[in-house]
Amino acid sequence: MAGPDPIFALLARALDGAALRQAVHTANLANASVEGFRRLDVSFDSELERARASLDVGTTPEPDALTGPQVVQTQDSVRLDREMALMAKDAVHYQALLGAFDRSIGLLRLAVREGREG
Amino acid sequence: MGFFSVLDISAAGMDVQQARLEAAAQNLANSRTTSAPGTPAYQPLTVVVHSVTGQDAAAENLPKPVVAATVPMNAQPRLVYDPGHPDADERGFVSLPGVDPIGSMLDLISISRSYEANLHAFDLTRTLIQKTLDIGSRR
Repeated sequence: MAGPDPIFALLARALDGAALRQAVHTANLANASVEGFRRLDVSFDSELERARASLDVGTTPEPDALTGPQVVQTQDSVRLDREMALMAKDAVHYQALLGAFDRSIGLLRLAVREGREG
Repeated sequence: MGFFSVLDISAAGMDVQQARLEAAAQNLANSRTTSAPGTPAYQPLTVVVHSVTGQDAAAENLPKPVVAATVPMNAQPRLVYDPGHPDADERGFVSLPGVDPIGSMLDLISISRSYEANLHAFDLTRTLIQKTLDIGSRR
């Protein structure tokens, strides 16, 4: 297989998406008191769903074939409580992805050391 | 959009709330100031905030709030009958600034909540950056 490990590439893409979500929540909160501001959202999960589906049928999803996360404009105004709750949820998601990244690195490290501890 | 510039958005949000707080505090503090008849009275201030989207090439440029101006509201003065007052006009009316004290107090609550929300977002972004920097650092 050419190129980097697809798991790392996919995790990196998912982290990009989660980081953009955090950025968008931050921007929504910061702009909440601007007259006429409508909240922004990120559309990315449909892409991840496609990647997951291709994993289910046994093919490795091509990270390069996925389009990156997109910022989309909604018609809703910003509600502080809702935005804070979504931000907390997405932060947990981001940290879960970081954990998966860390464990993948741990596996590589284990393989490099031929299974020896320390 | 790098993660570090997200911190700037929160900082801009806090700046805006600071400006709103200054205007609201000034309005409340001046709500009982009078001026001699014929001289301009205190005008309550309002803060105009605009969202500015950066001009960088990055597609996911996010809007940042900036204070466009702090402008007088052109509110009608309140006339109070107080003939003994040194600033009363010939009919005995003193003009007080058109500050809406209840509205100002409600503004203060909204400012406080918005500031807290921005601070929380700042803190969360900082934590996530810190954790990202720690990837793979365990032995």
